[in-house]
Amino acid sequence: MTFAEGFLVNPDLFPGRRSGEPWGDRSLALDIPGGPYTFSGLTLAQEEGVRCRFGDLCRPAAEGDVHTRVFAAPREDFRELDVRGWEYTLDMDHGPAGVRFAGLRLMARLELEPALAGALWTSEVAGDLFAPALENFLRALTSYRLLERDGAVLHAAGVVDGEAAFLFLGPSGAGKTTVSRLCRERGGTVLSDDLNAVAVPSGSSARVEKLPFTGDLGEAGAGPASHRLTALLRLVQGTEDRLAPISPARALAALVAAAPYVNRDPWRRDRLMATLERLARAVPAYDLTFSLGGGFWDILKPLRP
Amino acid sequence: MTEIALSSVFKRRSDIRYRRVEDEAVVLRQSAAEVLVLNEVGASVLDLADGLRPVGAWTEELAARYEVDREALARDVLEFAGEAREAGLLELVEGGGP
Repeated sequence: MTFAEGFLVNPDLFPGRRSGEPWGDRSLALDIPGGPYTFSGLTLAQEEGVRCRFGDLCRPAAEGDVHTRVFAAPREDFRELDVRGWEYTLDMDHGPAGVRFAGLRLMARLELEPALAGALWTSEVAGDLFAPALENFLRALTSYRLLERDGAVLHAAGVVDGEAAFLFLGPSGAGKTTVSRLCRERGGTVLSDDLNAVAVPSGSSARVEKLPFTGDLGEAGAGPASHRLTALLRLVQGTEDRLAPISPARALAALVAAAPYVNRDPWRRDRLMATLERLARAVPAYDLTFSLGGGFWDILKPLRP
Repeated sequence: MTEIALSSVFKRRSDIRYRRVEDEAVVLRQSAAEVLVLNEVGASVLDLADGLRPVGAWTEELAARYEVDREALARDVLEFAGEAREAGLLELVEGGGP
């Protein structure tokens, strides 16, 4: 299947440049890791939809933000798809200077040179439909932005307990949401049970940072957004609770597998692996076998600083 | 599929990237975003699969590093080369077969 064929009626008409007809003249920025991220060309309804979805993270747009222009695209450009029971993933096309992707009623470009900038074409004008389209785009945008800033977005659950912060890694179905729920019941704070950011600057501690992208557990409460990372925990479902160290190589493998969007990008994979290797070497990693009784919470105690 | 012999020549597939981390290797297969971890010998074989040296030369190189029976090592290396080819990590160089 050629790029975008699954989503677009005419993939050959995919926009070649960051240009088009804006929906409106409104703009706002989202203050999340790697940002702020400005979106311009919005209607009032689209802006309100984004404010409703992202709340306190919304800021006025400013010079120097990572800027995405939003453009109108006719509804008939997109295929009508029945997505019931379907695991939705963006279709991506990687190049040396940028990335194109297509999804449900959206097309987008990320230009990585000379500075990261985006363009989003969508047919969604109602706020409650536009916000999910923007969020899908934002997940990919954030992944690329953090990579160029010595970080990454990880498909992992992030949990904080006092001074300790843990990342639980595993593919879909491994138990990230279950573990998050069990942690929360025992007093932990869940940053997100789905996607979290890590920052791995050379010469300083690795940190986990809260992103507004959650899974089944929903939105996390208020609290500090950045925490020193205590341990990486690869989830193993079992009938008992057990902690076993794993090598940095095994930790790196789990991290790379958990890095959405960029781990399929042949032009950025070396940088991704280098960044995540620093993380795997800097932070202790374990296989955490856990039972539904939640006893794992106690065996994490010795890891806490 | 072509039989593998000590005279076979392999190279790493262009869509893989790997990093040595201590005595293991982490391999990313780009086409599937699949990540594998190889042990020390597997990591060494990836290093040696340069598209120039035949499998027999890998065995000589590894025999110089590890105190193991040379025949057993040759069998293990041939077996690993076959598995690595099936896993999409290595490909046979044209004209480099037995």
